[in-house]
Amino acid sequence: MLTFAGLTKRFGENIAVRELSLEIMPGEVFGLLGPNGAGKTTTIQMATGRLAPDAGSVDVRGLGAPTRTEVRAALGVAPQELALYDHLTGRENLAFFGRLYGLRGAALRNRVDELLERTGLADRAGDRAKTYSGGMKRRLNFAAALLHEPSVVLLDEPTAGVDPQSRLHIFELVAEQKAAGRTVVYTTHYMEEAQRLCDRVAIMDHGRLLALDTVSALVAGHGGQSVVRIETADGEVRVETDDAAAAVAAQLKQHPDAHGIHVDRPDLETVFLALTGRSLRD
Amino acid sequence: MGAIWTLALKDLRLLLRDKPGLFFALFFPILYAVFFGVVFSGGGGGDGAGIAVLVVDEDQTESSRSFVDGLLALDGMEARRADRETATARVRKGDATAYVVLPQGFGAASRRMLFGSRATLTIGVDPSRRAEAAMLHGLLTKQAFAPMRDPGALRAQVKAALVASAASGQDGLAMRPFLVALEQFLGNVVATTEANKTAGAEGSRAAETDGDAFGFQPLRIEQESVVRARRGPRNPFAITFPQGIVWGIMGCAAAFGISLVVERSQGTLARLLVSPLSQARILAGKGLACFLAVVSVSGVLLLVAVVGFSVRPDSWGLLALGIAANGIGFVGIMMLLSVVGKTEQSAGGIGWAVLMVMAMLGGGMIPLFAMPSWLRGVSSISPVKWAILSLEGALWRDFTLAEMLMPCAVMVAIGAVSFTAGTMIFRRTL
Repeated sequence: MLTFAGLTKRFGENIAVRELSLEIMPGEVFGLLGPNGAGKTTTIQMATGRLAPDAGSVDVRGLGAPTRTEVRAALGVAPQELALYDHLTGRENLAFFGRLYGLRGAALRNRVDELLERTGLADRAGDRAKTYSGGMKRRLNFAAALLHEPSVVLLDEPTAGVDPQSRLHIFELVAEQKAAGRTVVYTTHYMEEAQRLCDRVAIMDHGRLLALDTVSALVAGHGGQSVVRIETADGEVRVETDDAAAAVAAQLKQHPDAHGIHVDRPDLETVFLALTGRSLRD
Repeated sequence: MGAIWTLALKDLRLLLRDKPGLFFALFFPILYAVFFGVVFSGGGGGDGAGIAVLVVDEDQTESSRSFVDGLLALDGMEARRADRETATARVRKGDATAYVVLPQGFGAASRRMLFGSRATLTIGVDPSRRAEAAMLHGLLTKQAFAPMRDPGALRAQVKAALVASAASGQDGLAMRPFLVALEQFLGNVVATTEANKTAGAEGSRAAETDGDAFGFQPLRIEQESVVRARRGPRNPFAITFPQGIVWGIMGCAAAFGISLVVERSQGTLARLLVSPLSQARILAGKGLACFLAVVSVSGVLLLVAVVGFSVRPDSWGLLALGIAANGIGFVGIMMLLSVVGKTEQSAGGIGWAVLMVMAMLGGGMIPLFAMPSWLRGVSSISPVKWAILSLEGALWRDFTLAEMLMPCAVMVAIGAVSFTAGTMIFRRTL
């Protein structure tokens, strides 16, 4: 479990994170959603002990603050910035980071082999990381966070700039962490990723927590109604409704000559728009 | 300790794969040491201006004092007065290249240059310094000829020779007509010189030419070997390899200083900082890697020196002490270099600029003995001087343990101060 209690961080006059309180459960994939500058990375850095909060506290599994080295052993971190040694091979990178977490001998070799296999990098394991594509580096970056089977996995924009194949690998790995009962914190500004992967989502903007709930509850609470659009010979008919299926059936009765039907369901984008008055990617 | 070793081995592996870094840490120093060693052993090494010479005047006559004053003013020689005991000790230590002794009777002999037995002086020099010894012979002979550049002084010499010849009644009969003619000629030259300043300069040149044309040596130089008294460098490579080793050590310091900046810019430092390692262990890993690289590079260069160029250290134990002290010193310097630049380019540029100045001042480019005395004084502020001294002390200066403590202690102190300062700045910028 990962707990933030009244977490606040200032950089000069700018308040990057403002009184953030969260409790993230084991086996939960928790999304931190927000545009650039929302405070996601600062939150992750406080969760890893890289930044000390100005106020409030972070607790990892009841062990205390991650500023203590023994607490950090429970964390697996895949930073937004690719953190790999270009002149080491994929295998050497993983072996090095594994040793830092106390893995040795056969246990280390087996774990490295397993993760190379799981990330689809086994056939390039002996090549230097500098020869990898961006997506491959991103997968290796993720694998390095999982070597020691941490209780809490912190993923900061893990799919930034990756190809569809790598994205799929990463999604599968996230699902495996959830299945293994680990706490996963996943920051992204891709709402479709959050909707697909996350059990709960916290929406942040300008350091504030705007909303926190499951995706469906957020959509239901802040997304507004679905919009049904019927294209007829006389033009388009728009109907806002909470029950899209019933609305479509009713409209088709009224417009038997309709030649197109569109249903725009609310999503996290519309939730964010409703909460902040601007788009997530502004 | 396991994690620190892991960090250090990773950095050493990265250094081995960093071709430019490896070149400056290993191959450039070997090239440097071999190239200059060959140059010096080829006879060109002793022509550096300002060889340090101690002059012992045991005659204490007006002529000997005049000769010494002439030596002190000579270009190409840094001469100082000393007593014989001090001069011998300092040459044995390598503090001076050679000594020159003007024995009793030197002044009297030098006044009768054209008659009787020649003036004799003794030089003491390490036999391995053949080039410097030959240069010293030339400078002393030049100084002995100096009176002949003054027609008046030369005329007095001729007159003295004629008087002495007549008084002895047994010598110089064959020379007498020539000396009489020469005395008359010089009288004309002196008269012309006094009449016309310009003509005087020409007259002086004429006298010089005449003096050279005599085709005799006005001085007999006896050479004493000081090799039995101290074990100096057996060959020039014993001088150039310590310099090469220090270049290699500087290459290591630059490479690891830059690597810490690269770790920061590439994000790997952030990953290390979120691992269960304290900042102190991370920096200790970097320091250990640099230390091991320094020891390895020193070891490889020494191996090349011993196997390929017959360099034989006086003391392997003291050499190990010197290398360890240099490792500590330059680990600290590496830490300081790692915080001077924010990017790889700026850290590399600034770092090498600082190291080059250290090398220039400290004898990394030209040997300390070839430096002017004022620069030798300034060189003490450079860690390179102490690093070279700690290697030379064990290689050929025949330092005792007590004598080794000075350069080693300086290097350790430099390491401690700069590592502490570098670490403080590094932590502040995290």
